[in-house]
Amino acid sequence: MVVWAWRGSGIDIAALAKSGPQISSFLDRMLPPDLTWNQTEARPFDPPLRLAGTAVAITLQISLMGTVLGTVFALLLGFAASENLTPHWVHHSVKIGLAVIRSVPVIVLALLFVGALGLGAFPGVLAIAIHSIGMLGKLFAEECECVDPGIWEAMDSAGANWPQKVRYAIWPQVAPQIYSLTLFRFDMNIRDSAVLGLVGVAGLGLWIENYRRAFDYASVATMVGVTMLVVLAIEQTSIQIRRYLK
Amino acid sequence: MVRIEYLQVNYGRRANALSIDRLEIDKGERVAVIGPSGSGKSTLLRSIKGYIRPVHGKLEVMGIDLISASAAVRRRVNRRVGFVFQQFHLAPRLTVLQNVLCGRLGITNRWRSLFGLFSEKDCRLAWEAICEVGLREQLHQRADTLSGGEKQRVAVARAVAQEPSMILADEPVSSLDPAWAEDVLELITEIQTHHQTTLIMSLHQPHLARRFASRVIGLQSGRVVFDEPASSVTDAHLEELYRGNEIIRLNPSPASAGAA
Repeated sequence: MVVWAWRGSGIDIAALAKSGPQISSFLDRMLPPDLTWNQTEARPFDPPLRLAGTAVAITLQISLMGTVLGTVFALLLGFAASENLTPHWVHHSVKIGLAVIRSVPVIVLALLFVGALGLGAFPGVLAIAIHSIGMLGKLFAEECECVDPGIWEAMDSAGANWPQKVRYAIWPQVAPQIYSLTLFRFDMNIRDSAVLGLVGVAGLGLWIENYRRAFDYASVATMVGVTMLVVLAIEQTSIQIRRYLK
Repeated sequence: MVRIEYLQVNYGRRANALSIDRLEIDKGERVAVIGPSGSGKSTLLRSIKGYIRPVHGKLEVMGIDLISASAAVRRRVNRRVGFVFQQFHLAPRLTVLQNVLCGRLGITNRWRSLFGLFSEKDCRLAWEAICEVGLREQLHQRADTLSGGEKQRVAVARAVAQEPSMILADEPVSSLDPAWAEDVLELITEIQTHHQTTLIMSLHQPHLARRFASRVIGLQSGRVVFDEPASSVTDAHLEELYRGNEIIRLNPSPASAGAA
């Protein structure tokens, strides 16, 4: 398997060794990053630091909305996909549906929605939301399948109906893991939404792509740096929140 | 309250886990079901609760034949039967009060309950049940932080909040240490007297059965071996019941009390 992969992927160490000059010239053009604030010469776009604020905001807004929408539907579908909560034909078909959704790469979803709705933030929200449904739905269902069935039986004994049993027997048992998984997904969605700029979704990624097309590599470097900072900051925050939730 | 005729129940892969020709339990009785492990104690209680559907025979609970009744009717009967489990089965991360309110789920407004909203009557009944089991101080404590005995008290309060006509307790004290076991059984029987419900409990300890029940039914391999008033259960009865198992004496000496 590994040999097969090695041959197919065209790994060429000699080429990598000889590419030193190209890489260094590429880095040369990127460094130092463009940290200017004032427009000094005629350029197609404003300096990156001026744009960074709005770009970060849009990226965060897209990932937050996408995560929220995705989580709501993932919860409903996750309960429906749990073997212990629904009849076989329900959880089986929902599971297949979730697998199909998961199998579409998020960038393909974004391409589809950009084609249908035009450039902007909304197609990004949809792409992220749908991808999150596929991923979170499966994970939520797995959490629900691990719960203690006795509590379900106890609620049943009190005469509770299905939504009540989900609310009082399942939810208290899975809530911490669900919060944690959702935060983790939010984390990943920020990275995803930055990449979606390549296909025309607004935000940090779009500016990276714009500067690259204008051969303004110093500004690309600035935007990449800003993206890294945002991702790291969110990751740290989410680790702290998850620790608190436990 | 419960009428059984020629009842046959399979449980899992075990055919005839229960096979009872005739058994009647009247309203207000306090019955203990004893017998070795696998004798069908739990199967009997679970059949009465409607968790297991008998293969054939007649199983009447509150005048309704559970075998022929529709699902809706069975649910209505089910709602009037409180069940106390060996493993408590409380919802973790919810408080004592919230857990007891869960006993009201079948009666209260279903949609409002999803948002944690319960009527004044629900809250009053839950509060009274909590006071009755003596957990007033722990009202807002999380259920998973309580001790075993306290957890079982919450579970009893949850069953009481259901306003049951009958309480079934499936080995309610098997996971508690002896002191707590007596304490919880005292509580359950007090509640039975106070609310004038029917009580059927399965127990592993014959001396507790004789002390806390007024009628003792001995089950072995799914069949009724004896069915006597508690006062006339003798060592001979128990020896016959537990033959081939460890011998359990009616009045255990201090040395064997731990083993019982």
